[in-house]
Amino acid sequence: MSKKLVSLFLAVLMVFSIASSLAEASAVTVTDMHDREITLAEPATRIVVMQPSDCEILCAIGCEDTIVGRGQYVDYPTSVLEVPVVQSGAETNVEEILALNPQVVLMNDMAQSEEQVKQLEENGVKVVVSSATDIEGVYYAIRMIGKLMGKEENAEAVIADMQATFDEIKANSKNEGKTVYFEVSPLQWGLWTAGKGTFMDELAEICGLTNAFADLNDWASISEEQVLARDPDFIVTITMYYGEGPTPVEEIMSREGWGDLKAVKNGDILNAESNAISRPGPRLKDAAIELYNFINNIKAEEVPAA
Amino acid sequence: MHDSRQLKRERFTPLTYLFLTVALLFTMILCICVGSVSISFSDTITAVWNAIRGVPASGSITGNIILNVRLPRVLCVTLAGAALSLCGAAMQGLLRNPLADGSTMGVSSGAALGAVIAMAAGFTLPGFSYGGIMVTAMAFAFGSLILILSLAYSLDHSLSTNSIILIGVIFTMFISSIISLIITFASDHTRSLSFWTLGSFSGVNYDQAKLLFIALVICGGILIRFSSELNAFAIGEDNARHIGVNVKQVKLIVLITVSVLIGICVSISGTISFVGLVMPHIARMLVGPNHKRLLPASLFSGAIFLLLADLTARTILSPIELSIGVVTSLVGAVAFVIIFYRTRKRR
Repeated sequence: MSKKLVSLFLAVLMVFSIASSLAEASAVTVTDMHDREITLAEPATRIVVMQPSDCEILCAIGCEDTIVGRGQYVDYPTSVLEVPVVQSGAETNVEEILALNPQVVLMNDMAQSEEQVKQLEENGVKVVVSSATDIEGVYYAIRMIGKLMGKEENAEAVIADMQATFDEIKANSKNEGKTVYFEVSPLQWGLWTAGKGTFMDELAEICGLTNAFADLNDWASISEEQVLARDPDFIVTITMYYGEGPTPVEEIMSREGWGDLKAVKNGDILNAESNAISRPGPRLKDAAIELYNFINNIKAEEVPAA
Repeated sequence: MHDSRQLKRERFTPLTYLFLTVALLFTMILCICVGSVSISFSDTITAVWNAIRGVPASGSITGNIILNVRLPRVLCVTLAGAALSLCGAAMQGLLRNPLADGSTMGVSSGAALGAVIAMAAGFTLPGFSYGGIMVTAMAFAFGSLILILSLAYSLDHSLSTNSIILIGVIFTMFISSIISLIITFASDHTRSLSFWTLGSFSGVNYDQAKLLFIALVICGGILIRFSSELNAFAIGEDNARHIGVNVKQVKLIVLITVSVLIGICVSISGTISFVGLVMPHIARMLVGPNHKRLLPASLFSGAIFLLLADLTARTILSPIELSIGVVTSLVGAVAFVIIFYRTRKRR
């Protein structure tokens, strides 16, 4: 009788220990991009994603069905438009988010306040901050999200794919000292460009180009004269075209005094897909390919307007 | 005994006008030669000389910058500065209010609202690309003025300085929120909020300069023609009526003219504050309150001030360009406090 009891007891103990170690094995700890440690009992299955780029990462690693809420500007891939919208940024509505019953909220630190984060965490929702400003940061974000969702392998595959594209482009481009001018906002809205520390600048470097405004940091409002004086070899504009009036490229070519620029005379102006080139997500590799094709005059298929 | 010499000297002598014109031309040339990109003086002269001779400027970077970017900009800034300052002086004289100006009276923001609505709704006049926007801006400018004056009158029949300015300022804030709201919904058709509230001359062309010139000549001419009547308003509307001034008619004409001029300026460059407020005071300190001298003096001083402000905005943080409203507000606010302090002290 006592032997049976002991073996029963040992069996129960064994099951218990296996179960607890299994539970520990599936517990997830990530360090987010604000150096905060977040632990979940198991990979997340209900997630509200505020940033368009994080949503693209989630879908790239195969977690689209875990998204229960999306920020106002999240729009890619198009299938995600069916997910309920929540307000993001300064107008973040904590009640709205709680109503969707998520386990995790993925957000940026821009315009979010400490109070909003605290409110969410007090109600049992984990907040993970994602804020990449360069390609290395994007890789970190992908790994972090991969770990959070229990899809580390998929995450590594996405990163490897991106890096392979960048490496291939770098290997086929040599820096011949040609310059590129990124127009983030056109003349009629106040001329803005992307300087050092932006994704556009990084992609330019990968393609072997020098940013005409490398002396500026981040995004800056510049004088028209400066563009004329720096006479860039290539012009890339990310102005969106809505079908009315001249296209952004036509508009640039028709500007008074711009007709003498090298880029205008040679027709070397690209209207890049603006979301791919500015979001810290997997589509940066598409933007790199678009830029590379443009510089080397490779006619790719028409990129449909997003 | 009338001293006929004194009566004759009300207007500026031709010599004074010459002096003022030379000062203005000097400032304009300075602004053409100096800019974000350093261009040597000889290159500048060559570019302008080539243009006058009819040699095409193509092929030369400096030529393009001087002729297609700087020159139209300098012209627009000069004309807009003169116009805004003249309007400020006229309003201050008409309403006997030293704080009256396009921005404090809500006229500029009303014009901006009109322009934004026209842009969002896509108003155009046939054959005249800016037409719809400008006409709507002028109409809204005039509407705002009437609205504010009526509101002020119903609150305070004496139309004291404080009530008008209070209502004007609150109205401006209210309109700014509406503009912001419209821009949120129609952001691809309208210019940015910072353009409307802080102003910008970036990207102006010769057509806009021509329009400003015609407007200034016509409206400026009308306002200057009413110099004597504006002088009469200084002793009070009732007294002015007694000495034969058709108060209602003069008021209406001056207010319409001011709305038209401000409407055009705002559609081209957004609201630029403090020019119409401060420059007439400076002009008054230099030439006195007689509108026959004050109005022309405001024209020149406004143009010179705005030229220097635009020069600062383009060069101080080169290659970054500041909004011109930032410079005029900083300088104008400080200047205004100093003027206020001085006039208080004198009393």
